Amino acid sequence: MKIECRPAFSDEEKEILQEIMNIAFGNATADLAELIDIYVELNAPSIQVLGIGDLPDYLIRRMKLHTETSIVAQNFWGDFKGSSILVLPNRSGRSLIAILDDDEMNDFSMKPVAGQEKEVLMEVGNILIGACVGKVCELLNTFVTYTPPQVILRNSDEYSAFIESFDPSQTAIIMETVFRFQKIDINGLLLLITNQEAIEWLQKALHHFMEPYE
Amino acid sequence: MIKKILIVDDSPVARRMLKSSIPQNRGYEIYEAVDGYDGISKYQEIKPDMIFMDLTMPNLDGYNAIAEIKKTAPEAVIVVMTADIQQKSISRVIELGAFLVLKKPPRTKIVEDVLIKVEDSLKSRSGGKQ
Repeated sequence: MKIECRPAFSDEEKEILQEIMNIAFGNATADLAELIDIYVELNAPSIQVLGIGDLPDYLIRRMKLHTETSIVAQNFWGDFKGSSILVLPNRSGRSLIAILDDDEMNDFSMKPVAGQEKEVLMEVGNILIGACVGKVCELLNTFVTYTPPQVILRNSDEYSAFIESFDPSQTAIIMETVFRFQKIDINGLLLLITNQEAIEWLQKALHHFMEPYE
Repeated sequence: MIKKILIVDDSPVARRMLKSSIPQNRGYEIYEAVDGYDGISKYQEIKPDMIFMDLTMPNLDGYNAIAEIKKTAPEAVIVVMTADIQQKSISRVIELGAFLVLKKPPRTKIVEDVLIKVEDSLKSRSGGKQ
């Protein structure tokens, strides 16, 4: 797999973006913990710049974290434009249902398990992605609108369609955070992917963000 | 009185942001460490009056670094500066003996207020002697 650091995005800009992602994901997990009784262990995020044509290989390599995978995908657009992908192992849906049932937050018992899993994955994905992207936007002084979250199974036509929706000629900036839901011992991955259209705006916004600290 | 401040954070940007939020006109000597191990080592070498400590770091995280420093120096003043604002994380570092927890990104006014609190605490420990 070819991953190249394109000079359009400097090391310093990557470091600023990494810190912004760190702050944003920290906020998102705190939001999730307020809603359900779950503690999320965080790792330092990483930033990759690569061609969108390399994205499918990148995702496959990263998703080897799990033998089977569920993906919650949500697109966002505005000045900051792109896609967010939450990757969790398939069994995590059931584990999360158990926590939500303990908290008596909703009544899943009347619904089929597959439907319950999908709902809970969408809800958790929506909270984490929304809070994370929202905080990035707040720090960068902009706002975005979102498509509804979508649950995609790795070996499905939906996954292929999702991957094909990216323009392979473009550059992607991938902001990646690996985390662990402590109570249910599940590792996950959150990716924010933004494309070439947003890079110029993003560079200006990152420098503006750092101005008070110069 | 605070003379030496140690900033422990793996992110050079986070260290830069915090450094620039600390008042420049008070003559503080600022030292930097890039992870928990480096933080422990620099603490022992420099003996700073206070530490700003991140939590999410590679090699050795802030929780373990705080525990290790507090083991040999229970009087160490450690202010946690973190993006991880989950209540359980905050409770955990307070149990470990952190003086205060601040949310990232740093804000100059908040950092100034914290420095005043730390100064007050150090003064009361020394019985008001400078």
